[in-house]
This record gives sequence, structure tokens and C-alpha cells, in this order.
Amino acid sequence: MEACDKFHLTLRGEIRMKTENSRNNWILGFDRIRSGLRLLACAGLIAIMMVAAVSTRAIADQLLSTELMNQVFPGATHYGSMDGEPPAIAAYKNEEIIGYLFRTHAVVRSLGLSGKTLDILSGLDLNGAITGAVILEHHEPILAIGVSSEDLEQFVKEFAGMDVRSPVRVVRRAGNRPDQMDAVSGATVSSLLMADAIFQSARAVGQSRGILERDASGVDLTGFEPVDWPKLLQEGSIAQLRLSLMEAEAPFIEKGVRLYDPTSGSDPGSLFIELSAGLATPARIGRNLLGTQYFNRLTAGLEDGEHIFFLAANGRYSFKGTSYIKTGRFDRLQLVQGSNRFAFERDQHTRIEKLQIPGAPEFREMALFTLPTGSGFDPARPWRMELIVEASTEDGAPLFATHALEYKIPDRYLLTAESSRITPRSKSLWKNVWLDRLPDVVFLLAMLSFLGAIFFLQDQVVQRRRLYKIMRYVFLAVTLLWLGWYSVAQLSVLNVLTFAGALRTEFQWDFFLLEPLLFILWAFVATALLFGGRGAYCGWLCPFGALQELSNRIAQRFRVPQIRVPFGLHERLWPIKYIVFLGLFAVSLSAIDMAQAGAEVEPFKTAIVMRFIREWPFVVYVVALLGAGLFIERAFCRYLCPLGASLAIPARIRMFEWLKRRWHCGRQCNICASKCPVQAIHPNGSINPNECIYCLNCQTIYFDDTICPPLIDRRKRREARAEARAEAGGDNDE
Amino acid sequence: MTNSRPINRRRVLTICAGMGAMAMLAPQVGSAGPPYQEWRGRALGGPARMAIRHRNEALARKLVAQCVDEIERLERIFSLYRRDSEISRLNREGRLDDPSHDLRLLLGDARRYGSLSGGAFDVTIQPLWNFYARHFAARPAYMADPAPREVERLNRLVDYRGIDIRRGRIVLGQPGMQVTMNGIAQGYITDRIANMLRDAGLDNVLVDLGEISALEGGAWKVGIADPGDPSNRIAQLTISGCAIATSAGSGTKFEPSGRFHHLLDPATGNSPQGCRSATVLAPSAVAADALATAIAVSPIDRAETLLRAFGGYRAILVASARNILDISV
Repeated sequence: MEACDKFHLTLRGEIRMKTENSRNNWILGFDRIRSGLRLLACAGLIAIMMVAAVSTRAIADQLLSTELMNQVFPGATHYGSMDGEPPAIAAYKNEEIIGYLFRTHAVVRSLGLSGKTLDILSGLDLNGAITGAVILEHHEPILAIGVSSEDLEQFVKEFAGMDVRSPVRVVRRAGNRPDQMDAVSGATVSSLLMADAIFQSARAVGQSRGILERDASGVDLTGFEPVDWPKLLQEGSIAQLRLSLMEAEAPFIEKGVRLYDPTSGSDPGSLFIELSAGLATPARIGRNLLGTQYFNRLTAGLEDGEHIFFLAANGRYSFKGTSYIKTGRFDRLQLVQGSNRFAFERDQHTRIEKLQIPGAPEFREMALFTLPTGSGFDPARPWRMELIVEASTEDGAPLFATHALEYKIPDRYLLTAESSRITPRSKSLWKNVWLDRLPDVVFLLAMLSFLGAIFFLQDQVVQRRRLYKIMRYVFLAVTLLWLGWYSVAQLSVLNVLTFAGALRTEFQWDFFLLEPLLFILWAFVATALLFGGRGAYCGWLCPFGALQELSNRIAQRFRVPQIRVPFGLHERLWPIKYIVFLGLFAVSLSAIDMAQAGAEVEPFKTAIVMRFIREWPFVVYVVALLGAGLFIERAFCRYLCPLGASLAIPARIRMFEWLKRRWHCGRQCNICASKCPVQAIHPNGSINPNECIYCLNCQTIYFDDTICPPLIDRRKRREARAEARAEAGGDNDE
Repeated sequence: MTNSRPINRRRVLTICAGMGAMAMLAPQVGSAGPPYQEWRGRALGGPARMAIRHRNEALARKLVAQCVDEIERLERIFSLYRRDSEISRLNREGRLDDPSHDLRLLLGDARRYGSLSGGAFDVTIQPLWNFYARHFAARPAYMADPAPREVERLNRLVDYRGIDIRRGRIVLGQPGMQVTMNGIAQGYITDRIANMLRDAGLDNVLVDLGEISALEGGAWKVGIADPGDPSNRIAQLTISGCAIATSAGSGTKFEPSGRFHHLLDPATGNSPQGCRSATVLAPSAVAADALATAIAVSPIDRAETLLRAFGGYRAILVASARNILDISV
């Protein structure tokens, strides 16, 4: 009976407390509305400013002014017109061509992160160096929310003077390595795409104008059509070296030595050797030569980067010689490419007996030689097979002469920038990014696994209240410091808009794969939405959320009074964020760059991406939000955050309710509701999943038999019973 | 070529030979005609340059890049200053089982030049050269003469006939034997580069990689500097379709008096004192290179015989400032 009374008293006390507070709350609440309106006005103003700034950037499809071209190609006196394939403008100094200007979108159809046109005007001089670059049109940044157009302009300017043949790699944090450069902070992907656009276009222009070798990006190994021997010879897939006895002897005659005994009756015009050689790895050559069955067997075990050469010869000289039988080395052959020499040994040699190709002559000897992976041989570049011939002087000393068979794989086999024009960015781009950020990826996955474990074991975890609190604050600190300020992995409503935009136009995973951490986070969020709601992200993984919560905790430490917004007003402020989101969504349908400016409502860019180093209006805005957050916990999350809104909408489909409630909740007790940091619990006791940040605070209460009234009640009764039993037992004992 | 390597004796040698003996090159044709392109770099430790006239600049640039690759490849074979070059491996191990064609070919030629010169040109001089270089590097202060007995002992290792280049490998006949291609490799590389450019259809080219070769299509002026006073030009030749090489003991002296310098006579093991510089015109840079060396270490009266034996065109010998010998055959 006693316990029961206390319970009711507690309830009454609670109710009384609430009514006492409510008047102050209302007054403060109206203040809040007024300042909130001011904030909104301020945000709107900033948005308009940004829109204006962005729209002046688009110089798209204007005629290129001489001024602009001079900026890209210093030293040029005048320019030709845009022509040729790929299109480029010749830059002249007096009457001499000194280089070419080109637009990346015209050359490689460069696209930005938004999937929309990225057009950079750049120049290439005759030494293969970039002369300068100016952005003509862009719709960046979308995933990267910390970047101004000026940052990007500055970034492309840095390309001036770079050698296209040894392009630098754009990385997030370049060390002092000369082959790396810093990406624009917070816009790694945009930086990569811009570098890619410039280098790929420059290479295509350079190759077509004879400034650069054809791109050594690779050789088509799989393309096949049946062709005969004369065709392979005629197109250069097989090259030949033909020496008559006289020609072979010529270098020795100079040195006063004969190759053959002149009295033996050999005809000087007779064939010394006719050597045929070619790269056998491309199916069009190898499969035609060797037949499908044998070629497939041969190439089945072939590793990436291994190469097979075909050699065949007629005439009196053998390219194999006989010494390989003893020494294991084919000492009459050496393959030379650039500054590399490759020699062949016995285990690189495969004997072949017969060719399957129509039109081939009988050969006196044939062989296949294999170069292993990592040899440094590049099939796309020219090479030569050198044959050495030995003669003896009268005193028995050997003299040598060498002859070279020059080989250059026909252009038809080359995979050049042009053949990969349809997909403007190379597949390897995102793979490189992932490799670069492997440690970050691993750490994030560990973090997410830990969070998953907390959710999975939440009933057990929340019962250890102290441990749970420590875990939560440490986690939030990691979210803020590592995920936010260090890794700049702050999701943004812009991601949602980009994704929606991509779904409507041409969707490519590549875009999203280019930011590994964001990709992983979004994958996690998508899963979490299905299982629980937006809370898993908002309450745990949002760096700005963490910043608000931690700063509010510190404020509470210093006894900053907390304002509980009366539920009626609270409820009516919720929709703001949905309106903001819908507004942004609507704008993004027609103008993604305007939506970008509007997304400045999110303080993420200023607080997380740019770490408060920004123009003062932005900083003031963020500081105001954080200041509000000191009194009203997560004020921004509650009422303004368009990202939260965009997550809450699809979260309606969630499959489970993990948060435990009792029938007493809201009827007899409102403790959880009063303790909920974001006031997501309705007075009727139900948790609003659209607002819940999944901090599990209510669950710690749910399991705490010193706070949760029904539990206290149960404990008291249990204790009373135990006491009673003890008393009764004592009686019995006596 | 790493920049960090300290300047060594050979570099001083080639810089001196290159800059001193015949640095004055100028294309004879004026500003008219196709554009003149020049590449400067280093080859075998010395300054190197190529001058090309060609209408298609892009093609010329591509060719220069190919030539630079070829120079790099040949350096990996012939450079004594790279520990992993073929020649360094051969000297270290006394044999080489997988020599490049280039090394076999050039050792074959070297052997032939050895026998044509009666041993005056000998690529196995390296142990002696090394000995002198170390001797004077270790004792810069009092410059004691090297012990004749040691010179004699090492000179017994010097015999080009002891190199076995048959059966696809190279074996040095005695332990301690070492080979230097420095008297001939520059010429070989020069020939290779000149041939590459000729095969590519260029004919107006000057290649200067220590030795100089000019292709047939153009006439190029080459000056020969006075070995005593490099600023003074003692002769000017116009070359076309041939190669020119100079050997001058004064190029690198081991010690200030000049009694010991980088040219060594395989017959005695000492530096010859007769001829101060020998400049040779020959059909190929290899022949010019070897011949200049052979003439420079031989008595002056052997010059004409050697010139004929090697098939050279002309030799200009400087015995002293007033005694210049010009031999043509």
C-alpha cells in the first residue's frame, strides 16, 4: 500500500512540475519562433546569394573569348578555329603552331559528379605539357558539400605545366611526392573527375596531333574475326625481316670476314633468313594463327600482363640455334622495347608444329615465347626482335652482326582514349579511390559493426547504464572527430537529391562509388532505415548531430537551463524540415546548382567540411544553430534538418519496432518522454519514429528499476514479499 | 642517372673531353630551312646532345624520346658506374651467362681492333686504370709514383685475347681481369643513335655523345680545341656522313704533372707521353673511337699504318702547340 501511494505521488509531482514550467516555456517558445523566423530569413538570403554566385559561373556555350584563351595558353599570339577530330583549336605564335586548345566536353564528353556536363578549356603545348585550364561549365559539387567554385577554379589552374605523359595522381592528402597533388578538400571526386577530364582530353588531342604516342592504355586481346596469313602480314600484325646471304654477310665483309665459304657455291642472293614475328596474345592474331582450340588452351592459364610472341622462319639460319639445349638460353634473340631488353630461356619457349591459318607457308622452324607478368613489356608500344649472327675471323675469334625486326602493333588493336569515350571515366578510377582509402574504409566498417552490435544487443547493453553512456559519448566523439572533421564523411541532403536526379537520368554506380565512406554510410543508412528508422544515422553517425549533442552535454554540465518546448508547439515545428526538404527537392528537379545553394540551410558544410573556416555569415549561422542547441537539444535536427526529413520519409517502410514500451507509458507515466533529448515521445507514450534519434535513452529507463515506475513498483512488491516471507520464515524457525 | 652521385674521374674526363676538345659545334646552315631542334642530356656520365633538323616537329620529338630510351638501355650495359650494368657484373664475377647482343658484338669488334692495332687498343686495361686511379686518389698529398712492380703485375692481366665470347656467354680468362668499354662504347652508342635516326628517314642530324657523328644530309662544323689551351681552336673541320673522335691524355690527368693520365699503353702499362691529342675521322664512330685511342697511345710514326688498318679517313695529331700532324689516306 505504501509503495502504491508513493507511485501516485510521483506521478502527481511530475504533472505539477510540468504545469509549472509550461508558462515560461510558451514565452520562450514565442521568442524561439521569432528568432527561428529570423534564422530562416537569414538562410534564405544566403541561399539567394549562393544561387546568384553559381549562376554567374555558367559560361556554357558562349564563344570562347580571346582573353579566356590567352589565359589558358599564355604566349600564343592568335588562334585557329575549332576543327579536327577530336576537335581542338590551334594556338599560334606568329606563324608557327605552338600547341592546341581544347574543351574537355567536346573531346571526351566529360561529366561531373552530378552526371551533368563538366567542361574545361585547357591547352596542350608541343612538349606534351598542359598550358593552363579554366572551367567553362560545371554543376559541382554535389556529394562534396564543402567547396566553392573558386576552389575548383584554383584547382584546375594548378594543372599548368604538368606533363601529360606522366600525369600526377590526385589524392586526398598528397605528401611531398611530386607525382601527387592535393584534391580540393571535401571534393575529392570532383577533383578526380576534373583531372581525368583534362588529362584524357589532352592525351586524345596530343595523340591525334602527333604530340604524344598513341595511348598505351592497352591492347584489345579479345576481338576476333577470321583472317588469313597474307592479311596479317599486310596490316602489320605479323612483321617480317628478310635477309639474303649477301645482306647478312655485308657487315662482316666490312670487317674483312666472310660468313660462308665463297667456294662452297652458295648463291649470294639465296635466303639467309626470313623471320616472321608478332604478338600472339590478341585473339585476332593468336587464334587465327594457332586455331581456336590450341589458342584457348594456351591463353587459359595466362595471367594479366603475360605476353606471348610468335616467331617463324625459313632460310638457312636458325633463330633458335642449338646452344639453348645445353645452356637453356636462346642466345640468338633479344627483344628490345624502349630501354628494356628481354631475353628468352627454355621455360619461356613453347614448340609449335603447325599453323591453322590459311595462306601461311611451311616454316622451317616456329616457336612461341612467353614474357611473364611484371616484365615491363608494354604490348601497345613498338618493339624490335634482334637477331645476332656470328662469324669467325681467320684466327678463330668470333665477330658479330645484329639485325632487327621492327614491330608495332597496328592501331586497330589499340584501346585508346577514343575507344573508351562512351564511359568518360575509367573503371579503375573508383578502385584507386577505394585502395587509397582502404584504412579509412576498414575503420568505418569496424565502427558500423560496433554500432550494429550495440543495436543487436541493445537490451543487454542499456541495462549497464554507465558503460552504455561512456560507449555512446565515445562513439559520438569518434563520429565528430574522425568521421566528420578528419574524414569529411558528412552525409547531406544533396546526396539524396543527386541520387534521385541520377535515377531520373543516367544512373551509374561509379558516381557513388567514388566516395567510399559516403557510399558505405549510405548503404548502412539504407539498411538501418529498413530495420529501425532514421535514428541510427541521425543519432549516431551524423557528425553535426554529434557536435550538437556533445556541446549540449557540456552546456548541461555548466547548468545551462534546458528548454522543453511544449508539445503542441513542438509538433507544429516538425513540419518545417519537411517543407525545406520538399522545397529543395522541387528546386533540384530543374536546377541542381540552385538546390546546392539552398542546401546551405544545412550547417554541415560550414561546421564539418570547412571546420568553421569560412565567410562570417555562414559561421554566424552555424554558431546560432549550435547556440540554440545549448538550450534546446538538437534544435536543428528537430525542426530544420532536410536530411533528417528525407530519411524520415522512406523510414515509414521500416519492418520492426525494437524500442520496448509498457502499457503504462503515457497513461500513468511520462518519465521517458520527459527525458527524451529530442522530445520524440508523444504525451500518449508512443515513440515517433520520424523524430527518434535512437539514442536508447528511453530503453535505459525502461530497464532501470530505480527510475521506471512500473519496475520500481514491481521491485518494491517483490522486496515486500521477500521481507514478509523472511519474517514468516523466521517465525517458523523459531 | 642519379644526380646525387658525386662527380667521379670519368665524368671529369668526359666533361673535359667533350667541352675542351671539341665543344664548338654549330650547324652550318643558317636560320633558313627546317627548324633546328636540340636535345641535351647525359650519356655514360658525360654531356650528350643531339641536333636535328626536320620538318615534322612532332616526329622529331618522338624520335628523340626513342633515342633517349636507347641511350638508357645501352648505359645499362656499358656503364662502369652502374653496379648492375652488364660490364660491372662481368668484372665482378669474371663471367656473364646472359650478355646482351650489344656487349657480345662490341667485344667482338674490340677484339678485332685489338688485333688490328697490334694490342695498342685493349679493353682489358681496366685493372691498371683502376690501380692508377686508386693510387692517386688515396695519395693526393705527396704523389709518390706507383710501384713499377705492381704495374708490371697488373699489366700481365691485360690481354684482350683472354676474353672468350663464344657460345653466347662471356668469360674472362684470368681471375682479376677486368674490361672497360670506355674507349669504344661512346662510339657504339653514337652509331646506334645515328642509325636509328637514319632508319627513321632523318638525314640532317648531328649526334654528340662523347664522339660525334653527322649523317649525310647536312654539313656540320666541328672545332678541335688545343689540348694545352681549350679556348684556342687549332682546327675546324666540316663533317658529313662520317664520325669524328678525339683521344687526349690531357683530358684527365691522374696527377698535375701529366706523367700519369687516363690513356694507358697496354705494352708498358704506363701513360704514353708522345701525342697530346689524336683526332680521327672514320666511317663509324666505333672505329673512330677505337682508332683515336690506338693512335694516341702508339708512337707517332705508327699513326698512318693504324689509320689504314682501321679504314679511317683522316687523323690530326697534336704533339705540341707547334707540331701538328695532319694525315689523310
